[in-house]
Amino acid sequence: MKLFKIKDRHTWTFFVLPGTILLVLVLGFPAFQSILYSIYPEGGGSSYTLNNYSILFNDAVFRQVFGNTVFFVILSVVSHLLLGLGVALVLNREIFAKPVFRLIALLPWVVPDVVAGIIWRWMFDPVYGAFNDLLIKIGLISTHVQWLSNPKLALPSVVFVNLWRGFPFVMLILLAGLQSIPRVLYEAAAIDGASRWQLFSRITLPSLKKMLVVALALDIVWEVRRFGLIQAMTQGGPGNITEVLSTYVYKQYFQFFRFEYASAVAVVMTAALLIVSLPYIWMISQEE
Amino acid sequence: MRFFKTSILVVLGLAVLIGFSTSVNAQEKVTLRFSDWHLAEAPWDKTLADAMVLFEQRNPNIKVALEPVSYKDKETKYTVETAAGKGPDIFHLHAFSLPMFFDKGFAKDLTPFIEKEGGAKFLEPWYPLCINMMKYKGKVHAMPGDYMSMVLIYNTELFKEAGLDPKKPPKTWDEFLECNKKLTKPPERWGVAVLGAKDPGFELRFSPFLWSFGGDYLTPDNKKSALDTPDAKEAFKYFIELYTKYKVMPPGVPTMNAQDVRTQVAHRKTAMEIGSGWSAPIINSINPELKAFDVLSAAPLPYKKKKVTTIWLSSWVMNPNTKHPKEAWDLMKFITSKEMELNWFVKDGVTSSRKDVSEEAPEIRNDKFASVIASQLPYGKVVPQIPQWPEIMEAFTTAVQEAFTEMKTPEKALADAHDRINGILARKK
Amino acid sequence: MEGYGFLILVSIYALLPFIWMLSTSLKTEAEAFRVPPTWIPIKATLSAYVSMWTKKHFAIYFLNSTIISLATAVLSTFFGALAGYGFSRYIFYGRKFLIGFFLATQMLPGVLLVGPYFKILSKFGLYDTRTGLVIAFLTICLPFSTWMMKGFIDRVPDALDQAALVDGCSRLGVFFRVVLPISAPGMVATIIFAFLLAWGDLLWVICLTSTESMVTVTLGIARTVGEFQIIWPMLMAGALMGGMPAIILYLLLQRLLVQGLTAGAVKE
Repeated sequence: MKLFKIKDRHTWTFFVLPGTILLVLVLGFPAFQSILYSIYPEGGGSSYTLNNYSILFNDAVFRQVFGNTVFFVILSVVSHLLLGLGVALVLNREIFAKPVFRLIALLPWVVPDVVAGIIWRWMFDPVYGAFNDLLIKIGLISTHVQWLSNPKLALPSVVFVNLWRGFPFVMLILLAGLQSIPRVLYEAAAIDGASRWQLFSRITLPSLKKMLVVALALDIVWEVRRFGLIQAMTQGGPGNITEVLSTYVYKQYFQFFRFEYASAVAVVMTAALLIVSLPYIWMISQEE
Repeated sequence: MRFFKTSILVVLGLAVLIGFSTSVNAQEKVTLRFSDWHLAEAPWDKTLADAMVLFEQRNPNIKVALEPVSYKDKETKYTVETAAGKGPDIFHLHAFSLPMFFDKGFAKDLTPFIEKEGGAKFLEPWYPLCINMMKYKGKVHAMPGDYMSMVLIYNTELFKEAGLDPKKPPKTWDEFLECNKKLTKPPERWGVAVLGAKDPGFELRFSPFLWSFGGDYLTPDNKKSALDTPDAKEAFKYFIELYTKYKVMPPGVPTMNAQDVRTQVAHRKTAMEIGSGWSAPIINSINPELKAFDVLSAAPLPYKKKKVTTIWLSSWVMNPNTKHPKEAWDLMKFITSKEMELNWFVKDGVTSSRKDVSEEAPEIRNDKFASVIASQLPYGKVVPQIPQWPEIMEAFTTAVQEAFTEMKTPEKALADAHDRINGILARKK
Repeated sequence: MEGYGFLILVSIYALLPFIWMLSTSLKTEAEAFRVPPTWIPIKATLSAYVSMWTKKHFAIYFLNSTIISLATAVLSTFFGALAGYGFSRYIFYGRKFLIGFFLATQMLPGVLLVGPYFKILSKFGLYDTRTGLVIAFLTICLPFSTWMMKGFIDRVPDALDQAALVDGCSRLGVFFRVVLPISAPGMVATIIFAFLLAWGDLLWVICLTSTESMVTVTLGIARTVGEFQIIWPMLMAGALMGGMPAIILYLLLQRLLVQGLTAGAVKE
């Protein structure tokens, strides 16, 4: 239990309220409006109806899109985690030219995801693409591969680019977390004869736990919202193979002008995210 | 640390200061906000800017503020702003966006202005088809702009190399297939490239196939899908098999957009494409060594049962929220005047929705490409102007991609699209 | 050490597009479309870079992006640290809910928020201003910064707070003088990320600004993708130059990131 002075009891408001007020003021209104929109009938009108939701759940495309999103998010988050953790662990040691490698590992995040999508799409081009060209020159493939138009390769290609763009985030958080694990802990355990794996699982992982939760929770939310990258690379195609909830909502709203339906999709999206992130919220609110 | 506090205050103050310092001062002149994606792209940007200077000279009490917007984000921007009661006074849209904008009340009714100018007589110089597309519930809500037809663009040199007569481009779709077979020599060259991506340009290129085979997307009352007719099925199959069976199209077509297609032609990777007045200038700028203007030629599109082509039409919309309707109308009149429409052709190569320009101007008649394009305008057909159209197109392009990539057979893909489109139309309120 | 091999592989993965970007940015437009593509330009030229500054108003884009992103990053990290500290050190009724609320605000798709934001900002005369954009971005970045900072502040042992309080320090003093310096690596990470979040945004900038004087770097780059042409060399040049401020920011702050090594050796 945390102790605090009697005088102190109410100062939590000073710390927490400014942010809360700002968020409620500015985000509360749009959020409320969106929920309201979603129970209007399509095309406007003043009566309320749950029709949009029933259309949603009966639409085969929506189900496919939902499945794609789950698939995409899991692959992205897991790959971010593995690569980010791996790089952070190596960078935590004393290595020659560490600052250089650290900078390089951060670079992909510097490119906005729309721009990254445009550039990688061009690199993946079957005839003009630099990527195919390079792979052929190295001898890894012999003919040009259709990364984005082959239905089997489209989603993996998008995940590949998303990994490139996204791992620096996890890496930097974990690195910052690793840096503040006191060296003495490792030294003492090593003296006691602990193996590398034991050092990792008994010291590193538990210390990183909080940071891992933060990184995972944020990454999951962000990857569900990942829009610009996918829109620029495939617009959800070929077919509906790379269509995810965020591109789907965008189309419904800005291309088909189905404002009410789009709001319903967004509400479902948010609700699903809330459910998925409950364990993370619970974990990070743990009192120590 | 005090450092933190002071630095925050500094930044905050800086931000506020800079934010307020950019507020526009009130002026006595009327300022019109004019937005066009062409303002962000050559050669139109200079042409438009010069034209606006001319307009301001003739109308000293009006100032035109130019607002470029990126091509694919323009609907997003205009929707958000107009829905909130703001937005540019005049903006430029594709005609196919109009039904949705009309439906949501994002375009001002121009009838009062037109009446003042002389009503029906004022509208005479324009092609009737163009004016009809500007109408919502019988009233004109936008003015037509650029009007082009899709034609066949082909490389005469590659034709000669393949033993084909460049003066005799294919006239029917059967001839088209035979030509392409001769032109295709993978991996150096293929006959033709078309779009496969989910791009508004897709329907421009695909529709002539469907229509000249005798089929159509929807029934004439626009209430049901017509993709289950034998003609429609045949057209679809023919189109898909160009890629899957006869392989006269380069790999990657399922995700190609218009720019990719033009790049193929520019590098002599394909001999033909379906394009219009913008094709030659752009291909030329991609690869000047091709000498596009000399080597490329235009011809009417092949046909099967009847001659038909898709038309491309842009439109000018007045914002219903505008505070200066009279001045905005003056600007609109200027942009669509005979003088300016001819200007757009001479500088930018676009033919006009005004008959008195497209059919009469010697500049157009003497131009290798424009003359063909103008000659096809009478055969122009347009896709159904209904608000659900973008969603229907999305379902259709999905089917095309699925068939191209052989995820489904052409028959199944088309049948699924047919069902889906019927579902979309059944939802209509 | 096998760590090296792994790092080198990752570096190639990370750097590959940048090499291509650099190469393309130095080409002429025609060579950018060459087949097969060239990795080393046959005819290298700086014209793309020059054009971005002269034909497009890159200087203005740069100024706007830098001011907006910096203000967002600093403000969101500061308020995020405040809130993060509050969540970390205090127990109060509704704490779990509020923490969840902060995260939930990140979950709404931007698509839905743009319209209402536009209405709000125009009502207050903040449409097409940098201040308006900063406010909009703040609401996106603040929850993120709060979560990040809470995570980092949680790792600073409470005993330190207590020691300082006993010494007569105020709560605020504890926050500024004890907790923040120790969680400096976390703050650096948060600032950099918040900076990049604001820098890379496209949707909000499109909808919340209209004049050329408010264009950001990201929007400027997006506009090189026209209806008919993509001017690749300019796009690449813009993207590379656009990444510079973030890299510079990182280089300036990276010592603080590493500082944790010494500060973390705390007696427990």
